[in-house]
Amino acid sequence: MPTRSEGGLQVRDFPGTGELAALLPPAAAESAPFFAALAEGRLVLQSCSACERMRSPAAPVCPYCGGETATWREHAGDGVVHSWIRYRRSYLPQFEPLMPYVVVCVALDHGPRIFGRLAGDGPDRDPYVGMPVETVVERWPGGEAVHAFTRAREDEQ
Amino acid sequence: MSALPHVAVVGIGTIGCGTFADESLASMTNRAVSAALADSGLRRGDVDGLFVHIGSPRGLDYDEIALLLALEVELALQTWSHGRFGATVIGTACMALQCGLVDVALCVGAFKSSAFSRIGTTASVGFYEGMREGAGPHAETPYVGMAAPAAGAAMSTRRYLDTYGIDRERLGAVAVAQRAAAARNPLAVMRQPMTQEDYERSRWVVEPLRLFDCSVPTDTAVAVLLTREDRARSLAQPPVWVIGFQGIHAGPNEFIFGQPGLGINQADVFDFAPKGADEPVYRRAGVQPSDVGTLACYDGFSPQVLWTLERFGFCAPGEAADFVQGGRIELDGDLPVNTSGGHLSEGHSNGWGQTVELVLQLRRQAGSRQIPDLHVAQWATTLGDSILYADAI
Repeated sequence: MPTRSEGGLQVRDFPGTGELAALLPPAAAESAPFFAALAEGRLVLQSCSACERMRSPAAPVCPYCGGETATWREHAGDGVVHSWIRYRRSYLPQFEPLMPYVVVCVALDHGPRIFGRLAGDGPDRDPYVGMPVETVVERWPGGEAVHAFTRAREDEQ
Repeated sequence: MSALPHVAVVGIGTIGCGTFADESLASMTNRAVSAALADSGLRRGDVDGLFVHIGSPRGLDYDEIALLLALEVELALQTWSHGRFGATVIGTACMALQCGLVDVALCVGAFKSSAFSRIGTTASVGFYEGMREGAGPHAETPYVGMAAPAAGAAMSTRRYLDTYGIDRERLGAVAVAQRAAAARNPLAVMRQPMTQEDYERSRWVVEPLRLFDCSVPTDTAVAVLLTREDRARSLAQPPVWVIGFQGIHAGPNEFIFGQPGLGINQADVFDFAPKGADEPVYRRAGVQPSDVGTLACYDGFSPQVLWTLERFGFCAPGEAADFVQGGRIELDGDLPVNTSGGHLSEGHSNGWGQTVELVLQLRRQAGSRQIPDLHVAQWATTLGDSILYADAI
């Protein structure tokens, strides 16, 4: 059953199968806060101390102003679809049960664009550029948490 | 570059595209090198610079090539094992020649793709790259389900089509044109005719990309020999001059797929204003896009042809899908593109098949694919690198 975490994002079980570890980047100090927050049901992004723009992926230098100091700020996870694709050929066994599945590039409100799977839509329902989405957290069988997106409740199309 | 000596391609050798499962990489590479030496009239002992594109495990590393092919060189270089560095390998060889560091430069693009699992799957060579810090070289993000180069290409394509209101089936003109060219290339792997209807019937790989939008993985080996003007004029073949070069671009706003400004991967969103004729490669060569008689470009996926045409000033942003219709990029069109068949139909040579083709075209040795009255030919990619070649200086 989906639940809502204290952090505010909906938490649900990953509907695929297998182990996430084989698909995760090696643990690094720069990306650790991102994954640690997801485990608590929150989305956090690096934010430049100088220009205050949020960025992804985490990096030592701001791509917008060159600032070299940053903090981590929570993001509500709302955004719109900037682009989307649908896998018709399976590459990853962990995602094979979900075929055909959609991955979206989401422009987070006042934030960067990040990729994530679109969860919750049937196989024949197309998303669209500009579609509002919300961030959810999916818990894998091994306990790890990864972000995904769902069609925003107010979306009527 | 007028103060620097002129440099020319003086020899080419290729084993063509295909599957060479039972042949060693050393044998494949040597067949290409021997063919290039014979083509040029140079001897193995003349080579003193070695510039290698693809290393292990797909190809041979530079030290193995030198060792196993009995090459004694004074300067060697090897780049990343990705397709994108072909022009940079040749451009760097030119600089070494112009600086007098070497006298005869051998460039090698040799590799097997057939020996590995399908690109993008967890067992494939290079899968680990998708888990680099940041993201993979094509925006791979496996933990969210985004694997394979086709995904990044598809993501950029969707945004591009939506931004400019383009019908995705218009991409078919690229695949159809290149297949028609490949049909006349005995070295190509995909030679059976293809119509627009065939294209529209091809299955989805990652929407909005169809199978015929994707290149054909292949094995190949190509060798290219370059030297300075003083020596180039006395060799066996007419020299093909390198008249301009610019390097591969990189940075937060560069992504291998799409135009800058599309906002895919880490790139920001902005209106793309290509430099076009002001690209340094044209300035350095003293030519305009309108002087270019044929364009070869990196086409892992068909939309890369559109983005390259726009980036290098052949048409305005958003107009390339119209530009390529009506046979304009076919062999007898205004601007023939990827006349060997390119990666889509000749086989995914990481740009080396196209390099051989541009040299053959400028030597007037391209047989039934020969473009008449050709004097300037260009290589270019969506990451901004380019080489201009000419039949005279």
